[in-house]
Amino acid sequence: MFRIIKFALQDIVRNMSLSFMTVLILILMLLSINTLIVVRVLTDESIRTVKDQIDVSIYFDVDASEEQIQEVRDYVSAFPEVEQETFLDKDKVLAQFKEHYNQDEEILASLDELGDNPLGPTLIIKTREPKDYEKIIRALSVPEYEHIIEAKTFGDTQKAIDRIHIITTQVERFSYILTALFALISFIIIFNTIRVAIFTQRTEIGIKRLVGATSWFIRGPYLIESFVFSVVSVLISFFILHFSLKFLDPYIAVVFEQDYLLSSYLYAHVWTIVGVEFFAVLLLTILSSGLAMQRYLNK
Amino acid sequence: MITLKNLSKEYSADSIGLRDVDLHIEPGEFVSVVGQSGTGKTTMVKILIAEEKPSAGVVEIGGWDISDISAHDIPLLRRQIGVIFQDFKLLTKKTVAENVAFALEVAGEATHRIIQVVPRVLDIVGLLHKLDRYPHQLSGGEQQRVAIARSLVHRPKILVADEPTGNLDSINTQEIIEILKKINEFGTTILLVTHNREVVNHLQRRVVTLHDGRIISDEHVGKYRL
Repeated sequence: MFRIIKFALQDIVRNMSLSFMTVLILILMLLSINTLIVVRVLTDESIRTVKDQIDVSIYFDVDASEEQIQEVRDYVSAFPEVEQETFLDKDKVLAQFKEHYNQDEEILASLDELGDNPLGPTLIIKTREPKDYEKIIRALSVPEYEHIIEAKTFGDTQKAIDRIHIITTQVERFSYILTALFALISFIIIFNTIRVAIFTQRTEIGIKRLVGATSWFIRGPYLIESFVFSVVSVLISFFILHFSLKFLDPYIAVVFEQDYLLSSYLYAHVWTIVGVEFFAVLLLTILSSGLAMQRYLNK
Repeated sequence: MITLKNLSKEYSADSIGLRDVDLHIEPGEFVSVVGQSGTGKTTMVKILIAEEKPSAGVVEIGGWDISDISAHDIPLLRRQIGVIFQDFKLLTKKTVAENVAFALEVAGEATHRIIQVVPRVLDIVGLLHKLDRYPHQLSGGEQQRVAIARSLVHRPKILVADEPTGNLDSINTQEIIEILKKINEFGTTILLVTHNREVVNHLQRRVVTLHDGRIISDEHVGKYRL
């Protein structure tokens, strides 16, 4: 084992330009994948922000009793699709209304003239996915609730919700396709880089065999080299990613009103990203070198 | 030491390397195999080092039938035969000493033993002062001497030399042949494949002549007759 490690390190140093090119290609591929990860984080955050701004308001009739309202609230809460429901009683609704129209004296004067609070309680519902709103609204559009629910905002926002649903689905689908495409391109480039590296050493492989080296004595150094290349390329690409995200975060914070969005994601998923990338690169380089070498070992 | 019985190698219907070759080489012999290009000389070498398998017949080396040798046993066979080639086949990224040591390292020899043996063998071929050089820093004759040192370092009973002087000038050719003669005097069986008339005539040893894949003459003290 000591000799195999020694040969591997010798090969790396003595074929420095080839080692450098191999690591460079691996780093470029990892940076492409990391760029895709950043794009996905930003896309997800954008989708989440848009989804977060959508809700459906249920306006109860002024005369609806507390029991009737509670029944509707319990009914709505029972849906697994409902993520959050916020109830505003009549007073809160009035306070919000006044605050909203505090510049409009005419409206405020009309409200004073009416004397009593003309506004009914409101239930604000948030679902996990925009597509679920339709289901909730349909469930509430039954005759037994007709006399206690005065209006639902869904009708006004349905088109917007449908549109957002289509956009988010398309963006997600596109990012999956892009990921698959990048993975495929990375695989082909790494596979061919390793093949070329092995091809340049085919004569050496043949000589080693003639001298009496076993297949594993020949393969061993390449496996160790694959391991070293994987470690070096993953570490370098990780540091590049780390410093790039540090640089990008202040600009991202302006858009999403969230500090260190990308860095936080990186730290939260550091072992997954580094681990998956390391094992993927290692597997790919070992597989590529194994396949490329097989034809020369069989001669 | 080496026995070939009815040995044939057929690549395709119209490409036959060897036809029904019978040959027996005693331990300690120095045998030259001569013949024009394409007569099967290199095919014989390839079969002896298990780079190719015969289509028919038997190949025995030191009593070991290698006619149908398994892939697992090929490295073991090659560690028992020294081989040198026309193009030297040195590892270009290894120094002279590392090239020689490699033959021992693949056989699992202990490091302290390798450190002792390698300079000794390089001294025999006159390259002790160049053990840290890389092959490209040596002349053709020196490279061939490194190849000889590598083939000898594990003390093989047989040394197969496939056109070892093909790329060398007459002075270097003479040097290499003298080294081979010296190795033979120490008891190593040598099979020299060549088409160098002067070398064969100078040696005055056994000469086996191949033509069209067959042995057409086998003389105890022969000359190059083609």
